[in-house]
Amino acid sequence: MKRLLKLCTSVLALAAATASLPAAAMADWLEDAAKPLKGTEISGIFLDRPGYRAIIKLLPEFEKKTGIKVNYEIVPYENTREKQVLNFTSQGDLTMALVDLVWIGEFAENGWIEPVADFSKDSKITDPNLKLDGFFPLLLDAFGSWGGKTYGLPFDNYSGLLFYNSCKLKEAGFDKPPATWDELAKVYAPKLTDASKNQYAYALQSLRGETQSADSFMRFLWPFGGSLLDKQFKSNLMSKESQAGLKFRQDLMKYMPPGIVSYDHAEAVNALAQGQVAMITEWSAFYGTLVDPATSKLGDCLAVAPEPAGPAGRLPALGGFSLAVAAQATDEQKKATWLFIQWATSEDIAKSYVDAGGVSGRMSVYKDPAVKAKYKFVDPMVASWQAGVPEFRPRFPAWPAISEVVAEWGSKMMLGEVTVDGGAKEVGTRMESILTKEGYYDGKKKLLQ
Amino acid sequence: MTRDVARQAVMRKKTIMPETTVKSPSGVNRVPNRGYGRWTPFWFLAPAVLTLLLIGIYPTIFALVTSFRRYNIARPREGFPFIGFENYASVLTDSTFWASLGTTARFYITVLPIEVMLGLCIALLLHKTGMGFLKALARVTLVVPLATTYAVVGLIGRLIFNRDFGVANQVLNTFGFDSFDWLGSPAGAFAAIAIMDIWQWTPFCALIFLAGLSMVPGEIEEAARLETSSKWALLKHVQLPYLLPGLTALLILRSADVLKLFDMVFVMTRGGPGSATDLVSIYIQRVGFRIFDLGTASAQAILLLILTIVISRLYIRILYKEVQ
Repeated sequence: MKRLLKLCTSVLALAAATASLPAAAMADWLEDAAKPLKGTEISGIFLDRPGYRAIIKLLPEFEKKTGIKVNYEIVPYENTREKQVLNFTSQGDLTMALVDLVWIGEFAENGWIEPVADFSKDSKITDPNLKLDGFFPLLLDAFGSWGGKTYGLPFDNYSGLLFYNSCKLKEAGFDKPPATWDELAKVYAPKLTDASKNQYAYALQSLRGETQSADSFMRFLWPFGGSLLDKQFKSNLMSKESQAGLKFRQDLMKYMPPGIVSYDHAEAVNALAQGQVAMITEWSAFYGTLVDPATSKLGDCLAVAPEPAGPAGRLPALGGFSLAVAAQATDEQKKATWLFIQWATSEDIAKSYVDAGGVSGRMSVYKDPAVKAKYKFVDPMVASWQAGVPEFRPRFPAWPAISEVVAEWGSKMMLGEVTVDGGAKEVGTRMESILTKEGYYDGKKKLLQ
Repeated sequence: MTRDVARQAVMRKKTIMPETTVKSPSGVNRVPNRGYGRWTPFWFLAPAVLTLLLIGIYPTIFALVTSFRRYNIARPREGFPFIGFENYASVLTDSTFWASLGTTARFYITVLPIEVMLGLCIALLLHKTGMGFLKALARVTLVVPLATTYAVVGLIGRLIFNRDFGVANQVLNTFGFDSFDWLGSPAGAFAAIAIMDIWQWTPFCALIFLAGLSMVPGEIEEAARLETSSKWALLKHVQLPYLLPGLTALLILRSADVLKLFDMVFVMTRGGPGSATDLVSIYIQRVGFRIFDLGTASAQAILLLILTIVISRLYIRILYKEVQ
């Protein structure tokens, strides 16, 4: 009996030791790598979103292990690029870049961020368990890579998801969410809309700005087989497919609350949370807001599915941020920043990060049955990340200028101030003029997006 | 009459001067030691002048120089070469710039007469005799909108004009009207930003006019009241001349304000829906800090500066002439 007890104890101890091995190993290499960098200060910009609040919660652990001080400033998304560009052009104090997927081309081409390979070849400061192939390939490709080089590691990751009120759908006779956009518009929307009771089937955030261009306009191009640009970088908005997508959006407006062009993310999420609409397509990051009883009335009625598919398949909105080392930092700061980035995006803290409210870009964490069971958004999100278009929004440096044009004319289309094809023509003309100035048509620049 | 006063002042100066100078033993007039030297006033003024040069003049000159360069800080590798009037040509042929300038003009024409009229009414009410405590309270209350930050006014506007729970629609519902989609329709959004601007700046007009009314000599006003019972005649012939200098200052300040109005509109509508509230300052901010084309944005800003100066000169010429 004693021998059996001893054996069991040994097995348990071994299991416990094995389970804590990666964390212990991580701690070992991180502590060793950070020894010469103790006291170094690094700085970056964070957003006021769940993924950043999650890493801030875990930050003391990193600072304790490494002795590296992480300074961060929380900035609204709208000002993040402006703040970083001004900092990089004036050789400021940022040692880490927060790179939205649409900024990667601009940051990389201007030499403001450094390729990962510059650091990962130094084994003294590189996690032996770094495993770049452990990230969802779509995320690493879209958020962190430009021109065949990896610059940033996916940190705050989003996929467009269909959030819906399952109770409302049940009341209307549906026991599952719409699988296609066509089904949503023709079958679900008429039954879920009753304007006299201020009830609408669907809300699409369409406020002028990046919300209109990225979340509203672009969302209806790819699933319908359309795109912003063709292979020669000319406007593809007059193609049959792009026109079908944009006209579909226009027709769908009768099932949306009035004034949808003034809806930002907060308003769309709130419309679902307060029971005014039955469905929204929003970023996975808003799951936290929708399950929180303080901000949502949905309770158990909240359900999540992948975005509906279009004639070209399921090509949901893709968005997110990577972290990259800023080229302007000193050598010591670069090394310390690289250690932080590896730690923040590592497999070892992925579960703690998800539990703290973040969305990791690591595949392994979503295989954990406990994580799958706890978070309803995991399965649809993982499904969405299996296939997708990295250039859902072009990631080249010209995007901010094009985004402004799309935002203005996209809103005008929705308001009926211009027709769909009239607006698309105008966007196309102005976009091509921007790309001409950028040098895409005279062979000065590679056609990268 | 003014000439006489000036002549008297000159005479006084002439008679005083000899008293303040002292003859030295050598027979040379010298200024007595008054505890400060010739350069003392300069040192007192220097900090203010330097600050003005640093934060006022230098940025303006920098913007002027930048407006002649290709200056996109998001494209540092392309350099910042001089390109002559290319930025100005591109601005003057940019239909979006003209459209946003048109929207700004429409906004200006909408809000300014209302602010001036309401401000005048409030000032006349506060100028009445009696109800001292209430008037003092009203004067203090008038400062509140002025002291509120533009961005906060924008946030308040977003709440007031929210379609579902905003006060504006509750008021409409109380009077039996349907809820209106203020921020989601072009006309509604334009009206909403105009109302918020009127709310914030009418008190300023009222205070300026109140100051003007307090300049009217009591005996003249009393005499006029004995002459006529018409309030309009009193306003037109007695009070208005005293209000015109304030009105000129008001028009100049508000013209400049409207041309650079940004925060409140950005927070409320971001220039949308469509381009319904796309004021010229919103457009310049987009060109300057979204696209980072500082060359074009500077050219736009310099053109606006010229426009402001022209409008101000016009006001001074027309209204000051009236005063004289």
